[in-house]
Amino acid sequence: MPAQLSLTGFAWKNLWRRRLRTLLTLCGIGMAIGAFVALVGFSRSFETEWLRLYSSSGTDIAVVDKNFMNSSVDQGVVAKVRGVSIVEQAEPMIFNIMDLTPEVNAIVFGWLDDTYEFNSLTFTSGSRFRNGKPEVIIGDTLARNLNKKVGDSLVMQGSTFSVAGIFHGGTALEAGAVILPLDQMQLLSSMQGKVSGVHVRLRPIPAGETQEHYFKRAQAAIEAVVPGLNAQLATDRASNNQFVDLAHAVAWGTSAIALIVGILGIANTMAMSVFERTREIGILRAIGWKSWLVMLLIETEATGLGFAGGIIGIGAGWAGLRLLSVLPKTNIFVSTSLTPLHLLQAVAISVLSGIIAGAYPAWRGAHLSPVEALRHD
Amino acid sequence: MTDAQTHPQLEVRSLRKSYDDGRIEALRGVDLSIGAGDYVAISGASGSGKSTLLHLLGGLDVPTSGQVFFKGQTLAASDLDDYRARQIGFIFQAFYLLPTLSAIENVQVPMLALGLHAQNRAQRAEALLVELGLAHRLNQYPNELSAGERQRVAIARSLANDPSILMADEPTGNLDSVNSARIIEILTGIQKKRGMTLIIVTHENDIANAAPRHIRIRDGRIEP
Repeated sequence: MPAQLSLTGFAWKNLWRRRLRTLLTLCGIGMAIGAFVALVGFSRSFETEWLRLYSSSGTDIAVVDKNFMNSSVDQGVVAKVRGVSIVEQAEPMIFNIMDLTPEVNAIVFGWLDDTYEFNSLTFTSGSRFRNGKPEVIIGDTLARNLNKKVGDSLVMQGSTFSVAGIFHGGTALEAGAVILPLDQMQLLSSMQGKVSGVHVRLRPIPAGETQEHYFKRAQAAIEAVVPGLNAQLATDRASNNQFVDLAHAVAWGTSAIALIVGILGIANTMAMSVFERTREIGILRAIGWKSWLVMLLIETEATGLGFAGGIIGIGAGWAGLRLLSVLPKTNIFVSTSLTPLHLLQAVAISVLSGIIAGAYPAWRGAHLSPVEALRHD
Repeated sequence: MTDAQTHPQLEVRSLRKSYDDGRIEALRGVDLSIGAGDYVAISGASGSGKSTLLHLLGGLDVPTSGQVFFKGQTLAASDLDDYRARQIGFIFQAFYLLPTLSAIENVQVPMLALGLHAQNRAQRAEALLVELGLAHRLNQYPNELSAGERQRVAIARSLANDPSILMADEPTGNLDSVNSARIIEILTGIQKKRGMTLIIVTHENDIANAAPRHIRIRDGRIEP
């Protein structure tokens, strides 16, 4: 069987001809896509962890004021929320992020010792803390990071607590968290009489009523007894809180800059390639190649670079995510799971980058005069 | 009678081509007609305009004024790609093979423009190279071929889309006398066997005088 030549085979041979340049370009776009995969993966996993945090504890609604970061609600609203007939349980909580050591920070929760939110935790050693006592329980990831076991002391904001238990949480956020009695957390945060919010678990959905309708009815009923506060669905709160928004913004912003650099790299490679191959393009035009076919060849090369860079980038991004998941500074926020949609997005973005980067060189190559191109040295 | 029977295959009227905003006149009013199956040699000194005339006849360039007719139809700028792909086979002095492709792949390149099936492309390319005595060189790259072999690959490439006209611009300019004779023998053989029109631009008198019709160009005009 004689060797067959296809357009993609032709494009591949052109790229292979300048191996070092092709490799360097692939590294450039690969790093850009790797940054996208790692950073956006990080921010998405952060969002997913928030969602799992709520869903694993069975929280349906969070009652907060309008500011997530510094939500401060009078503790007296707890009784009002508990009085709403549709509410099964309502638990006050305080949430904060604190530096435990210069290298390790953690999400710190203040809970009552009988809250339903303990249901999502599995103790690997020790047991719950007791209200009014300077005790904490810590997630297993954090325990490893701090090298703590039950009975050890933990100093937070100048106060010393005893580690009462170590638990395995359902999420990375829980696994890296510290939980202490609500009253102790109020002292630590100077929030006496205040809480960050109230987590609400609703009664089972009545037969014949949709979940969407039921939740809306519950939100309205709760907001009616606590004017000025928001009864947010847990899923909305996970997706739309300022931490997640910030993480998304940083991830996309940084990725966009990296992608622009990657696109410029491909564009430079293709522009150089078109310039060097001016005479060859003239030959193609002389033997009857239409402009669009020349453009297609150049775009195929650029898209091939984008695609291959995307595959390299996914590998690099996954490695970056793995690194973030073991670093003490970040392992409490991140899991290494990459969704198929995320990977597909990475490949689509890299291919699109190739198409964009190849557009001008392709147009330039396609519109060369055959005679002028043949005369080119 | 059809247009093809009543009109010459190629005809040019009052053809002019100038460069550099008219400061350089390469062709100064050329009238010429070439019939289907003719073998024509165009000769002239360097800069006389012979290659320019070939480029205009082959649709590689457009005239400043005047017209080029193919089978009685004016060649419009928008039709030139298709005209070159289907009707013209070009052979150049410097061969212009693509260095990244093997001999058989080079011959398939023009066929990509017409969207022929991949297997048909490869089989046709192989058949052309075998016909030109290169059966043992199918998978060699241009830098692995001798000058004569490269020109034979270029001839095979020019025949890839079964054109009706073969245009050779100084096809022996880079060859020794033995290979020159061989290439001219091949080209004339193809012209006879296939009934194609063959137009050779050359500055070698032996080659030009051997053609049944010899057109001399001087200072952008055909000598009477």
